[in-house]
Amino acid sequence: MANLQNIRRRIRSVKSIQKITNAMDMIARSRFNAAKDTLLSNIPYVDKTREIIRRIMTQMNVSESESPFITTRQGLIDAQSREGGKFLFLVIAADKGLAGAYSSNIFKEAHSTIEYDGTSPSESTTDEESFHRQNVDALNKGISGEQLRAAKAAAKGGSKRTGANVSMAQEYNDADYISDIELITVGRKATSHFKQRGYNIIKHYHGISERPNYHYAKEIADLIIERFLSGEIIDVTLIYTRFNSAISCTPQDVTLLPLVTDDFPSETNAKEEYIYEPDVVSVLNDFLPRRIATRIYGAMLHSAAAELSSRMNAMSNATDNAQELVGKLNLYYNKVRQAGITNEINEIVGGANALE
Amino acid sequence: MATIKLELVTPDKGEILSKDINMLIVRSTAGELGILPRHANLLTELQPHAMKVKMDGGETLVAIGGGFMEVTPEQITILADSAELPENIDVDRAKAAMKRAEERIAQYKQATKDSLIDIARANSALARAKARLLVKNVPFN
Repeated sequence: MANLQNIRRRIRSVKSIQKITNAMDMIARSRFNAAKDTLLSNIPYVDKTREIIRRIMTQMNVSESESPFITTRQGLIDAQSREGGKFLFLVIAADKGLAGAYSSNIFKEAHSTIEYDGTSPSESTTDEESFHRQNVDALNKGISGEQLRAAKAAAKGGSKRTGANVSMAQEYNDADYISDIELITVGRKATSHFKQRGYNIIKHYHGISERPNYHYAKEIADLIIERFLSGEIIDVTLIYTRFNSAISCTPQDVTLLPLVTDDFPSETNAKEEYIYEPDVVSVLNDFLPRRIATRIYGAMLHSAAAELSSRMNAMSNATDNAQELVGKLNLYYNKVRQAGITNEINEIVGGANALE
Repeated sequence: MATIKLELVTPDKGEILSKDINMLIVRSTAGELGILPRHANLLTELQPHAMKVKMDGGETLVAIGGGFMEVTPEQITILADSAELPENIDVDRAKAAMKRAEERIAQYKQATKDSLIDIARANSALARAKARLLVKNVPFN
């Protein structure tokens, strides 16, 4: 029979865990409210930016634009066969754990996007901002030789891989594939996750995921643009968690660079050209970098709200579970105590009977 | 009178304005622009200034802290770094900001070449403060 003192100790420890989870729940809740307000007032700006991009891209004539950020699918293929470009990914995750499945969900999405090689059918990402998979598909088709590393990786992985989820052991061994990938991580969890798997993290940001600041988004955007303009990178993808509501958050990937005109089919009647003041190159060279920073900032706000809401859910579940456990333990404690008392009474009665 | 829809959004305050207006006068990096309904497609960068919105027979000034403007025949979209309607402007704060910016510019002019003052930032802070005071109709000279 369990001893009373042990049970008492256990009840006490569960209660103190409950206090902690309850406190974390409340902290997450108040931060979440703030994060949600910031997010909601940012959403119209991001949406309008996206609309404008879509409108100007449908009228865009690549040869005229001369912007390094805009290309065609064919241009992308040419660029890769010339320089053998790498992919750059920006992954936004959490600094801390204890947020339910938040981190594992975003990493799952990150792996399926990063390791996408055209061998497994692309899943339902028909979002109008997510073109990484199309880009990879085009690159695989546009090149015939094995001299290109992306193709090599596809051929290498293609025979072994069965599904979208790649086994851990393979991730570790696929150094050849990984060498074509550069990562920027936001959040300690993301950094340690990808470092462990041997990815090349060119820069990491810690301590900013819960309270995003435009200043950091700008810094990240500048870094991305610098890498992109160096010519080594041909495709930049942002992976973050989109906050839909307090109970629904979905990981998402967004292509930041380049803007591929083929992805914006022009509406037949709307072929009116834009006027750019003062001129197309200088306006676009100011506007497109701004759009990247805006998009990253928006994604950081989404991720922060998603992280806090899943921490809130996880912690309130933990508090409820602790409550339930305390109830069960109390019942058990009382049973054991009662059994002890009954036992003692039996002994006394037995002893008294023996004396007669 | 013909109208055109004006949408003014900022990154941190959401939608500031969403209205059918008659005319908009803004200052772009290339000069002043007047936008009437059925304007041709246009994309331009805006300076920090007080833009003039004509609607319902009246005029309103709105302080803009720089940004981008897209015009289509039906709609004007302004992505502003910051934007304030007259009723939301704190005159004392704007005056203080203007004084700070002027001091910084004065320091920059006196200082040696390697001074730490970011002149572009000071100039745009000055322009923003002036725009706010202009919107409030407060004299600042």
